[in-house]
Amino acid sequence: MDRITLNRRHMLGGSLALGALAGTAKAQTATRIRSYWWGAKERADRTNKVAEMYMAAHPGITIAGETLGWGDYWTRMATQAAGRNLPDLIQMDYGYIFDYARRRALLPLDGFVGKELDLSGFTQPSIDGGKVDGKIYGVSLGLNSTALVYDRETFEQFGIEKPEWPMTWDELGTRMAALTKAANRPGYWGMTDNGGSGPAFEVWLAERGKNMYNDEGKFGADAADMADWFGFWARMRDMGACVAPEVQALDKLDIDTNGVSQGKCALTFTNSNQLVGFQSLNKRKLDMAMYPAGASKTKSGQYLKPSQMFSIAATSKVPAETARLLSYYVADIEAGRVLGVERGIPASAPVRAAIEPALDDLGRKGANYIAFISDKVRDLPPPPPRGAGEVLALMVRMNETIGFRKLSVADAAKQFMRECDSIIARG
Amino acid sequence: MRRRRSLVGYVFLLPWLAGFFGLTLGPAMASLYLSFTSYDLIGTPGWIGLDNYVRILTADSKVADSVHVTLLYVAMSVPLKLGFALAIALILNKGIMGLSLYRALFYLPSLLGASVAIATLWRRVFAGDGLVNHVLLQFGIEGPSWVSDPNTALYTLVALSVWQFGSPMIIFLAGLRQLPQDLYEAASIDGATKRQQFWRITLPMLTPVIFFNMVVQTIDAFKAFTPAFIVSGGSGGPINATLFYTLYLYQEAFGYLRMGYAAALAWLLVLAIVAVTAVAFVTQRLWVHYDE
Repeated sequence: MDRITLNRRHMLGGSLALGALAGTAKAQTATRIRSYWWGAKERADRTNKVAEMYMAAHPGITIAGETLGWGDYWTRMATQAAGRNLPDLIQMDYGYIFDYARRRALLPLDGFVGKELDLSGFTQPSIDGGKVDGKIYGVSLGLNSTALVYDRETFEQFGIEKPEWPMTWDELGTRMAALTKAANRPGYWGMTDNGGSGPAFEVWLAERGKNMYNDEGKFGADAADMADWFGFWARMRDMGACVAPEVQALDKLDIDTNGVSQGKCALTFTNSNQLVGFQSLNKRKLDMAMYPAGASKTKSGQYLKPSQMFSIAATSKVPAETARLLSYYVADIEAGRVLGVERGIPASAPVRAAIEPALDDLGRKGANYIAFISDKVRDLPPPPPRGAGEVLALMVRMNETIGFRKLSVADAAKQFMRECDSIIARG
Repeated sequence: MRRRRSLVGYVFLLPWLAGFFGLTLGPAMASLYLSFTSYDLIGTPGWIGLDNYVRILTADSKVADSVHVTLLYVAMSVPLKLGFALAIALILNKGIMGLSLYRALFYLPSLLGASVAIATLWRRVFAGDGLVNHVLLQFGIEGPSWVSDPNTALYTLVALSVWQFGSPMIIFLAGLRQLPQDLYEAASIDGATKRQQFWRITLPMLTPVIFFNMVVQTIDAFKAFTPAFIVSGGSGGPINATLFYTLYLYQEAFGYLRMGYAAALAWLLVLAIVAVTAVAFVTQRLWVHYDE
């Protein structure tokens, strides 16, 4: 009878082998750094390439990258924070950094500056953009701002005046209505319906001299402002300047489902670093311009902001090593060449100077745009309070309610204020 | 000896028991506790008593919207789906050629239906320039953009649910196969028409199967989530037209990180399903005939 028997010696040998395996695994993970970011494949390729370069130069360090789309990113982030299992190096957004920093999920980085973390090439405002309550919690990975992205060829084809600074909101509307008329094609309009777009509203409101959220986190607009804003877009729909409500309702607030990408219209309100993404989905040549100005044509409500930041988790077991890696991403010239302007224009002056000559057409457009708007923009506004994300969804819903003619502009503005107040109060 | 045997039984049950206590009962109890707290995942849960429940039942207009949408969905999709499943089962029961092939074909949508791919496809088929409107245009009808019009969006989800009639159909088919043939023989000797036979024999004899299917499908319909999530892009839009209760629950939990509130919403859903099922069981003596 052939039976496999396990004796003491087998067991001992086995466990020794297992122990040895565990030992080597431990040696390798002693300085394992986990990094985490949102974005598409292009970003993942560049980010991983830099990680490989860093690992080649620093034997004994392993970098494990994790990446997700924007929507799932924050869900996973919150789940990991709850499990005290956050990655060491975290890509952070201006809308979330206050929440995470104030809950002590992030590490203040001031102690690393000048040692592990080289910020010598940063201007003071670009460092301050990552501060919460006076301490540095995030380091900018690139500057961006809001921007109109438009299909230049279509504008030229129909002889419509292209959007350019400075023009008023009404002037833009008139041009877009003219484009719809000139194109004369069912299912094609001038622009997307941005009555539900929080960032567009924020710029418009700032041009009236108000912040969307004040320093206390209170909503800055009143019912009259809301009626004017929603009223402007109701007029755009009536004029045929923007897409019909049932077309806008298919927009999931990402590049893929945007009207410009879907061939439904020629212009949309978005962010400057997303020109790259829009162009990759569009055969026609795209360009960008500033959002419309206030009635006096002198004020822009736009501002420059860190498009993304890198933060370090408070629970990181290897904070100093992570800070060194962070420094490599933001201050090393070779790393900067690989990353390019995909996350926005780098904040470090030497990196910027090194990569600018080698930029491609889109990259140069991005850099020129940031340079052009720099003396026209306002300061970074106060951070959004908790509940701001829900207010954005509310804005989409109220704009739809008017578009589908379920409520008048005035009633929708009142209902918006009621729901908005209750969202902010609840936090 | 006997005790020892039962012990052996429990040892064999251990993997299941561990799963039940560790992965089902434990988290369920944790969720019950969380429903009395304010908890945002990052911080620690803080006890707030019945506040979540009070807000849900008295002060949240989105709950009212989502309950309305969900009840409409259940009330439309369950009867339509059962009717459709029964009709197909009756046709297949006539002993046509290649029955197993048809059975498999009709069952296919049930396997695919809950998937993300099908929901995405649905979004395309019912879009303004989608397949449905192309077909309608052949008949000179200009259809709306079904998925993005608040007046029609919910119907596309009902249609998606009805299309997945496979599993109740299989059960109906099995039920039809078991009906005693002598009743039909006796009825036709007495001169009953096919129609009379259906209403007087088939349907009453089938009521236990209908009841079973109804309960299962109703519970399923209350829990439906994926189609609404995909078709509306997670927003429940346009204007909350597809804001299923489960989708609202998801938004509160993972969109706005109100885990305590979402847990309370979930427990109320459980209670609602229990109540509806209990009513179904109590009222079944009025219309379900068991062969005794």
